[in-house]
Parts: sequence; structure tokens; C-alpha cells
Amino acid sequence: MSNSKKIVLLGHFGVGKTSVMRKYVTDEFSSDYKVTIGVHILKKDVEDISLILWDIEGTKDINRINKSYLLGAHSFIITYDITRPSTFQNLESQITGLKKDFPNALIKVIGNKVDLLEKTAIQEDRDKQIVSITDYLTSAKTGENIETLFLSIASELSK
Amino acid sequence: MHQGEETKIDLLKNLLLNDDRLEINALKLKIKHLEDLLESKKQLSKKVDPIIDKKLDAYTEEIPIALGPVITESLKNEIENSKDQVVDALYPIIGKMIKKYIQKEFQILSEKINSQIKKRFSFMGFFRTAKSKFTGVEEDQLILNQIGETEIQEIYIIEKNSGILKGNYSITKTIDKDVLSGMLTAIKSFVEDAFKTGNDNLESIEYGLYNIHIQNFKTYYIAVVVHGVFDANYQQKLKDKLLNFSKKHYKATASNSKLSNALKTSFS
Repeated sequence: MSNSKKIVLLGHFGVGKTSVMRKYVTDEFSSDYKVTIGVHILKKDVEDISLILWDIEGTKDINRINKSYLLGAHSFIITYDITRPSTFQNLESQITGLKKDFPNALIKVIGNKVDLLEKTAIQEDRDKQIVSITDYLTSAKTGENIETLFLSIASELSK
Repeated sequence: MHQGEETKIDLLKNLLLNDDRLEINALKLKIKHLEDLLESKKQLSKKVDPIIDKKLDAYTEEIPIALGPVITESLKNEIENSKDQVVDALYPIIGKMIKKYIQKEFQILSEKINSQIKKRFSFMGFFRTAKSKFTGVEEDQLILNQIGETEIQEIYIIEKNSGILKGNYSITKTIDKDVLSGMLTAIKSFVEDAFKTGNDNLESIEYGLYNIHIQNFKTYYIAVVVHGVFDANYQQKLKDKLLNFSKKHYKATASNSKLSNALKTSFS
């Protein structure tokens, strides 16, 4: 059997999907923001598993993504920007939709850019609710929780 | 001479030469002024020249750094906005290069054909003639096929939905095979989705002398990178071989190494 696992990163434009992936794979964070076009694929070996990371073009609506890119995914990482409420407005319904379409896939929710959190402290009740369904608060800039996130996914997928 | 006469002569001299004397004096002053000016310029130059030289050196170093990206960007925009003019300007140069390249390639081809024809009476020549009569394929076509020998460079067995590599065989060093499998699947999905042609699948990608033949199965596909002549005859043979391989070796539970070894045995 193949030990490769397909991980798909989803989320709005500019939430930091590419930065999270790049930070994890090459341990680099680039401030030169470059909009992802279509799909970008990278690989990272974790112990005996190869994580094949599909970084999908950012979009407001998950339903507008080319569905064939999602097929066969073992895990989804839904990324939002903790400083921009518009990026987690429909998060719960998106998660519900994904669970329905891919019942066997592991879903992780991450709130990225936690390094900027002090400036935009979460106050609204709704925002607090979103944080409650978040698995990890991450920072592609500082690397906070990035390694932990992927290690936990690798660990759960290898079971 | 009397004193009175001398005074008269002096008076006459003054009258006659006064204008000339004034002019000479003015000229002398001008020459003096010019000499001073030249001298002061020399002195000034001695002091200023090294400063100017230093500044110029600094500018020479700084200008490419400061203006390089701006100039590059401007050139890019200019080329982008004036493609036709750029093509017109470059065509005579590139055209000549292409012409030269094609001439060279034809020369090589011609030499190879001559070499094959010279071998006409060799064993291979008789074999080719017999093969031509037996298969109905023209002998010159057989010669051309021999010249541009077809070679399988790489084979990938890829899971259809996930794009995960199930096995591969390659005679060349390539970029990460897992990433390549993913990208190939993404391209395939994009094309199939973009043209919405029902259940039709992307079956071939051509680039230069390479051809990627894609054979689709229910849950996976096999991508074969072929170099050289990829005619219908070769394609049909390849399809049959891949079908046989699939029947004989493919199992969803087979390990990557097992499938890779089977590919190597069957296609090397």
C-alpha cells in the first residue's frame, strides 16, 4: 500500500495557506505575498508517511473550487485569518458541507496569523465561537503550531 | 634738435599712436586676464577632478542597483505593450537562427538516411525489406522509424482521484515523482473539468519530441512519457501492453515497490 496521504488546504484569499505550507515544508516564511494560482503541490515526509500537500487557490466560496481537486483527499485543512472576520463568516456551513461530501476525511480548522492577535483581540461572541471550533491557532510567520498541526495529522492518518 | 622741436614730435607721436597704444594696453589686459583664468582653471581642476571622478564611480555603481529594476520593469511593459514591434525587430535575427537550425537538422537527417541506404545490402537491410513486404509498411517509413527511435522515458501509475503515485519506472532523473503525479492529476482534472466533456478523459499531452500517453482505468491511470516517433502503430502496441500489464500486475493493495518493480520488468 502507498504511504502517501493527500492533504488539501482550503480558505479565502490571503489567509496564509501558502505561507503555512511553505513554512512547514521549507521552514521559510516569505513576506513577499504571491497569490496562489490554481493549485500548488508540495511534499513533506513525516516518519513513514509522505504528506502530499495541495494548496488550492483561495476563494470566498468553497463551492466554487474545482471539486476534482478535492477528490481522494485524506485530510482537509481549512484556514482562516484570525484578523479578518470575513474569512470565517461561513466556516461552520463549509465544514458541514465537507463532512457530508467527504465523510472519511480528517478535517482540521486553523486560525492563522495569531502573531497579529494582540492588535485585533477577539471580542465578539461570534468570533469566540469560531475560535472554539478551531483546532490550532497558527502563525506562518513565527511557525507557531505549524509543525504540531502537520504532525497531528500525520499521526491520525497513520492509525 | 631743439627742445621745442622734440616736444612737437612727442605731441605728433601722441596724436598718431595714441589709439594704437590704447588698443595694445587693452589687449595686454585681456591676455593677462586669460592667463589668470587658465591658471585658476588648472588649479580648480586639480582640486575638483578627483571629487567628480569619485562621484562618477559611485554613480556608476549605484545607478544599476537603483534604476535596474525600474528599467527592467519598463522594458517588460514596453515589450508587453508592443509585441508586434518586438517581433518585427527580432524576426530577422531569430528567423535566421531557426533557418540555420533546420538546415543543420536536415543535414543530420540526410546523413542518417544515406547511412541507412548504404546498409541496404547488409543483413539489417534485407531484414527491413522483408519486414516492409510482410507488414505493408513502406521501407522509407521503416528507415525513418529506425532513425527516430521511440523510447519510454518514464511510467507512472497514479490513483485517479487523489493523484497519489502507486508506482513508477524512470530512465531519467526527474523532479519529485509524488509532486509530479499530483500536478499531472491536477492538470488532467482541470482539462476534464474545464471542457465538461462528460466522462471523457485526457489521453495525451504533447510537448516537443515528447508525448505523454495517458491510459485511464477505473480507479487509476497510467501515464507514459515517450520520446521519439509516437505513431498510431506504436500507440496501439503501447495500449495493448499497458492493458496486459494492468491485468497481470495491478492490485489496489499492491505496494509501491512491487508495482514499480513490475513496471521495470515489463517496460525496460
